[in-house]
Amino acid sequence: MIWCVPDNGIRRLVLFAYAERQMNRFMGVKKYKVVFKPDDVAVDVEDGDNLLELARKAGVALTASCGGDGVCGTCKVLIEKGETESLPGMQLDPGEVAMGLRLACQCLVRGDLVVIVPETSRMATGGGRRALATAEELMAVTGWTHAPPISKVYLELVPPTLEDNSSDLTRLERELAKHNIDDYRVELGFLRKLPHVVREGGWKVTITVLREPSGSRLTRIEPGDTRNRLFGLAFDIGTTGVRGELLDLNEGKVLSRGVEYNGQRIYGDDVISRIAYSGKPDGMAKLQQAVVATMNRIIAEMTQRAQVPAGDLSYLTVAANTTMIQLFLGIDPKYLRLAPYVPSAGVLPMFPVRALGIDVPEHVYGYTIPSVASYVGGDIVSGLVGTGIYQRQETVLYIDIGTNGETVVGNADWMVSASCSAGPAFEGGGISCGMLATEGAIEGFHYDPKIKQPTLTTIGGAKPRGICGAGLIDIVSGLLTAGIINQKGKFQSESDPRVRSGVEGLEYLLTPAGETDINKDIVITEIDIENLIRAKAAMYAGYQTLLKSVGLTFQDLDKVIIAGTFGSHLDIEEAITIGLMPDIDRNKFFFIGNGSLLGARLSSFSSELIEAGRRVARMVTNIELSENGDFMSHYIASMFLPHTDSSLFPEASRRLMELSKGGIH
Amino acid sequence: MAIETPRISYTGSIRPITLGAGDKSVTVGGETSYPFYLFEGAMPNPPRIAMEVYDAPPADWPDEAVAPFKDVLNDPVAWAKKCINDYGAEMICLQLASTDPNDANRSAEEAAQTVKQVAEAANVPLIVWGSGNVEKDTEVLRTVAEVCQGKHLILGPLVEGNYKKIGAAAMAYKHTIIASTPLDINLAKQLNILMGNLGVSESELIMDPLVSSIGYGIEYVYSVMERIRMAALTQQDEKLQFPLICNIARETWKTKEAKVAEAEDPKLGDTAKRGIMLEAMSSMVLLVAGADILIMRHPEAIKLIREMISDLTN
Repeated sequence: MIWCVPDNGIRRLVLFAYAERQMNRFMGVKKYKVVFKPDDVAVDVEDGDNLLELARKAGVALTASCGGDGVCGTCKVLIEKGETESLPGMQLDPGEVAMGLRLACQCLVRGDLVVIVPETSRMATGGGRRALATAEELMAVTGWTHAPPISKVYLELVPPTLEDNSSDLTRLERELAKHNIDDYRVELGFLRKLPHVVREGGWKVTITVLREPSGSRLTRIEPGDTRNRLFGLAFDIGTTGVRGELLDLNEGKVLSRGVEYNGQRIYGDDVISRIAYSGKPDGMAKLQQAVVATMNRIIAEMTQRAQVPAGDLSYLTVAANTTMIQLFLGIDPKYLRLAPYVPSAGVLPMFPVRALGIDVPEHVYGYTIPSVASYVGGDIVSGLVGTGIYQRQETVLYIDIGTNGETVVGNADWMVSASCSAGPAFEGGGISCGMLATEGAIEGFHYDPKIKQPTLTTIGGAKPRGICGAGLIDIVSGLLTAGIINQKGKFQSESDPRVRSGVEGLEYLLTPAGETDINKDIVITEIDIENLIRAKAAMYAGYQTLLKSVGLTFQDLDKVIIAGTFGSHLDIEEAITIGLMPDIDRNKFFFIGNGSLLGARLSSFSSELIEAGRRVARMVTNIELSENGDFMSHYIASMFLPHTDSSLFPEASRRLMELSKGGIH
Repeated sequence: MAIETPRISYTGSIRPITLGAGDKSVTVGGETSYPFYLFEGAMPNPPRIAMEVYDAPPADWPDEAVAPFKDVLNDPVAWAKKCINDYGAEMICLQLASTDPNDANRSAEEAAQTVKQVAEAANVPLIVWGSGNVEKDTEVLRTVAEVCQGKHLILGPLVEGNYKKIGAAAMAYKHTIIASTPLDINLAKQLNILMGNLGVSESELIMDPLVSSIGYGIEYVYSVMERIRMAALTQQDEKLQFPLICNIARETWKTKEAKVAEAEDPKLGDTAKRGIMLEAMSSMVLLVAGADILIMRHPEAIKLIREMISDLTN
């Protein structure tokens, strides 16, 4: 499933809406200004725009449990000033309408507006507490120059004559020398094109030059001046999910994005089972083809959406864990899981991408961000580069919340890493109604003890389709503080109207089938909760053991940078309540989203960052948790909400205690 | 030159818990140091031994274990009286083995009547130990709790899967409970926290760390018990400051070392002594690890352990 455009029907609707807007623009549509309060966000709008959609675009967190169908009544707003056109909603009584209350989803803008968003309509980010929106720009690496490893040069060659009869290539060389490119390599394929292209372009050509550590390589020749068309791909190949971006390398911006579950998932949930599968007859080939097929689908979707033909792509950067890289490249990963656990190569050369089965022309070259060790891969190095931890003097804990649970602690002078198998729960794997963090995924849960009902929010405000990692964290935290589950994650309030007996034992009904987009009840089961507890326990025990091994405590950390693709936001209070994050000063936390993809993207924009990646990979020291006696004990102690040792979670425990006191009668 | 003896500084103590009712009630716990470290702290209540009584005649005991009780195996009340009158038992542990669905599957009501009769005949504290089947124990121990209201029994084992239902009944009818976890300090602490959340009083809780015989992983038991005591006494871990109970006899007497006849394997030596020694030595290991209550079977083994406790505490 590709995010944003789930099926053809909706795609058509989007097209219609787009066409209508273009027409209105052409006809001269009236424009207004809408101000949302108390956020004080102002947006320019057009006549007839939907208020709920505007709020979302403006980043104003408005609840709409039903996805904007006008039936739930949760998106109430107060129109303080201005004119709207509103369908008569069933959810408002005449008194409310007279007061100026409207359902945002049923409201079209007909003039300049001042809109007040009441607290009750705010998204369930935890009752006014700090929710961390993805803020990669806050933490991104600084001080680099825009100089992609691949570039284009435009050359005007002197045409040959009977007197000046040197070869086509010699003529090219003469012009290249003027651009200081005099030591380079060319492929036979380049030479085969050379005579035709120079003549087709009237001796005016554009050459694509790849800068490798060992020198330059001419990868492509095109007629005429095509310097303004330089595109690349950045990929994060996760064990569970694969994410891509199509980049304009000249402008340094993202043109489109795509995400899909890794096609290798059917061969095993984690890297160990994939490595085991690769040893079976044809196993290696099947795994390699599976991930390539996933990438090809994402590329097709992204190129179509960005209107960039695959033929115009020039470059590919891949960040992934060591196993994923070796499987992608077809290098036997067998020795990664045999002591002493060494990868086949840390820094890999640039390679022609098409040979791997990727649907791009022959001239596209790829690069993989180097890895540290068997279980601390290029995805982590990429995140360390992307967030510039290697430049900072302050001590940072970098946590990648994903299937492999890698963490790094350190600063510009030293870095130590560790990894533990958290399993796929954070990406919806192994969860009965789990899904990737895409449109329609439940990612917010707020429980109202007065009416014993939850309010849910989904990514993009769509009707719920399933639960993503962020939703799972919110739900478990919410059920715990509501006293519906106990600290072991077991249902204890069997009298709650939404707790019922299902196929896998007790479960909690989140959304009845009729209100979903999948016509199926969305539930969370005791087994789902147990899977999340295992995953969070592995993460916490991992960085607890890592910090102890370098003689630090959580209090010694200046910042905690959280990477992960489990949702569009992370409610830090909820993450601490379930014991996923340490109970320290909330202002130390930063959530950057997909750190691996961030680093892959930035490394596509600057050779300096590629060099930085090589330095970082050499600099990080890895410790093996499997060889560490403390880890298992820490892990079992973490299999509790928030933790067996409540002194590690003073704030969270105090809050739980207060709630349970208040909740007994 | 004077040598200074290194001393451990203790910051916590084990809660003293009073078991049973009336003038034969027994208090366990209260330690302020590691077991028998009387040069560093106090052990106000020496470890106690509860003698086993079964609710049905056991089928698989070696002759040596059967001999002292062969006249009372069919009658739990007489068995309990014999333990008290002939062997000086300070506590009785009634093992409800026959309620196991894989055994005779006796009903909860029948079991509760047996418990009631024993409780009325024996004036010492009575431990009631279920079959270990999580669902059946829930039913049996809840019924026992109700039928024996006011007897202040010690009910167990309560595990994660049934602690709420049995715990609630024990609280309602005023009994002590045994929180049982599979050999892990963290799991033990977690269950105690859940018990606290449920509302179980801290003076009505003892812990079962799950034990095994010498030769069957007792090193692991020792290490877990020792860690529980270290956390309780030196790390002020309040959730672990409870007396420990060890249901050891059944573990030792079911081993092949206790059962195989000398004729079958002469290397193992005298069958009559072997089982007793295995029970006594396993029990001693657990005492040194921190046991407050031992559930034992053979009068000879019990005699040995009493002597050792007396030697070490005087």
